[in-house]
Amino acid sequence: MLGYVLRRLLLLFPILLGLSLLVFLFVRALPGGPAIALLGERANDQSIEQINESLGLDQPLPVQYGRYLKNVASGDLGSSVRTRQPVTSELSRRFPATVELSLAAMIFAIFAGIPLGFVAAKRYGGVLDNVSLVASLIGVSIPVFFLALLLKYIFAVKLGWLPTIGRLSLTVQLDHPTNFYVLDAILTANWTALWDAIKHLILPAIALGTIPLAIVARITRAATLDVLSEDYVRTARAKGLDPRVVDRRHVLKNAMLPVVTVIGLQTGLLLTGAVLTETVFAWPGLGTLVLDAIRFRDYAILQGGILFFAVIFVLVNLLVDVSYAFLNPRIRYR
Amino acid sequence: MSIVEAEAAQLNVDRPSGLWVDAWDRFKRNPAALVGIALIVVFIVAAVFAPQIASFEPNEQAGPLATNPAGPGGDHLLGLDQQGRDVFTRILFGARLSLLVGLVSVAVGLAIGLVLGALSGYLGGWVDFAIMRLMDLMLSVPGLLLAIGLVTIMGRGLFQIMLVVGIVQVPTFARLLRGAILGQRESDYVLAARSVGVPGHRILLGHILPNSIAPVIVQATLAMATAIIEVAALSFVGLGPADPRLPEWGKMLAENANRLEQSAHLVIFPGLAIVFSALGINLIGDGLREAIDPKLKS
Repeated sequence: MLGYVLRRLLLLFPILLGLSLLVFLFVRALPGGPAIALLGERANDQSIEQINESLGLDQPLPVQYGRYLKNVASGDLGSSVRTRQPVTSELSRRFPATVELSLAAMIFAIFAGIPLGFVAAKRYGGVLDNVSLVASLIGVSIPVFFLALLLKYIFAVKLGWLPTIGRLSLTVQLDHPTNFYVLDAILTANWTALWDAIKHLILPAIALGTIPLAIVARITRAATLDVLSEDYVRTARAKGLDPRVVDRRHVLKNAMLPVVTVIGLQTGLLLTGAVLTETVFAWPGLGTLVLDAIRFRDYAILQGGILFFAVIFVLVNLLVDVSYAFLNPRIRYR
Repeated sequence: MSIVEAEAAQLNVDRPSGLWVDAWDRFKRNPAALVGIALIVVFIVAAVFAPQIASFEPNEQAGPLATNPAGPGGDHLLGLDQQGRDVFTRILFGARLSLLVGLVSVAVGLAIGLVLGALSGYLGGWVDFAIMRLMDLMLSVPGLLLAIGLVTIMGRGLFQIMLVVGIVQVPTFARLLRGAILGQRESDYVLAARSVGVPGHRILLGHILPNSIAPVIVQATLAMATAIIEVAALSFVGLGPADPRLPEWGKMLAENANRLEQSAHLVIFPGLAIVFSALGINLIGDGLREAIDPKLKS
């Protein structure tokens, strides 16, 4: 098991190396460039040349890439050409925002989706089953940004129940030891800020969590249906076990394997959705960071941001594979 | 008459039914799938007969220019936009674009994905390794980010955008087909074909591919919905088709995203058009999956 995990972690290096080269070339293939984006109207050949020289962009590509790799290896991802901030500090500020949002969305999806799918399977073919089926199909058919806009308009603008944008109200003070605002508020025992941060999370999390919710519900339903017809479930029932115990210990536990897979796979989609949700709710996360970086041809941020996305994605997949072994002792990794 | 034949006659079974006949029978009896068909028929009719149905041209100024244009009512079923164009007409013509986007981008993704997946699964070895690692790389970047990046490089023409949305789907198809082929490669009928000297490419094209294609068809259907939503998403982040006259649903929605208060109809109707077309496709794809996958047979 440990050997398997180590091998998977080692495999991360070639993936990252390949990806870093692709991203490096991709970023330089973008039309325009940081000089033009920075200078705008004032751009002329001389000033462009000057900026390119100061950023080292006048060097041949292999030289630039070599220098980039050397810097990355020593933990230096470069600095944003726009804000002059080191990329690492930008990422460490933005990353917790995206993780917090994604976690909240996933919690919403799991805690609503698994019971929904389970109940639908128990009432197979009934009204509730069909309603949940249609609802989940609508869930995957609605564009994230459309749902986000509607939620924001109804619950924030019209009803005024929840805030429209950002992670925290301007009037609320909060120290940021971790940059996970909910965690920060708990750590500093700042209950006003905690409530405010949670209120800011609700709408973006629902918007982002709807597609995973629909998918988790459907997979739970399918998996539960499979397990319900197994012999061991019939045996457990036949020997007079409490139906609730059968459901919990035999049915639900065995139905969770495909659900975990899907939850893992959804994390990648969640990051994609985060780009759009963050845009609608002006959420200062990785998605908006990378979008802005593309607009401003901020090479360093772009390279760092995309690589970072990839690392998370690969790590989450590893986590999913490892959690299989815990849920299903029949699976052994060597 | 043998016993089996006699029993068959009694049961009124006159011919063995194949996978596709069975699948069609199951599909027909699935109400959700039929709703999907209905939605898609509406969508296709709107796309094909847009000029006949609409009373205006998509870029014709049919009403006054206005900051807060009139909502639904009167001559304009779904109201006007700020340039005085008829929203209903633009949504009808938008169906053409979405249909085109769905078909072309899935065709691109499918074509490239199938070739890569088939090569990978059938040849194995280093070809398989190289192709699959490339797919892993593509999959390690969120799809929308990949699309955003590629569109920024290739430009915002409609064709480029369809190409990009197709490319983003390549890994899904490639991996799916590879998996299916790996499952079939060692089966008895392939061994049989090989032992009587059928050449490799004919085994692949004539035997393995037809038997591996079912999950790919389902995925291709579902991918059309994804493609329509993806293009809308690109429009939403400002990277949709550059031509301002194109009545692309996502762009219509995005242009008015912050005007829900003043002109809700400019956001809601294009949004609903996306939702219903994607829903129709998803319902059909779902029905197909249940019809083709015998494990789900009830």
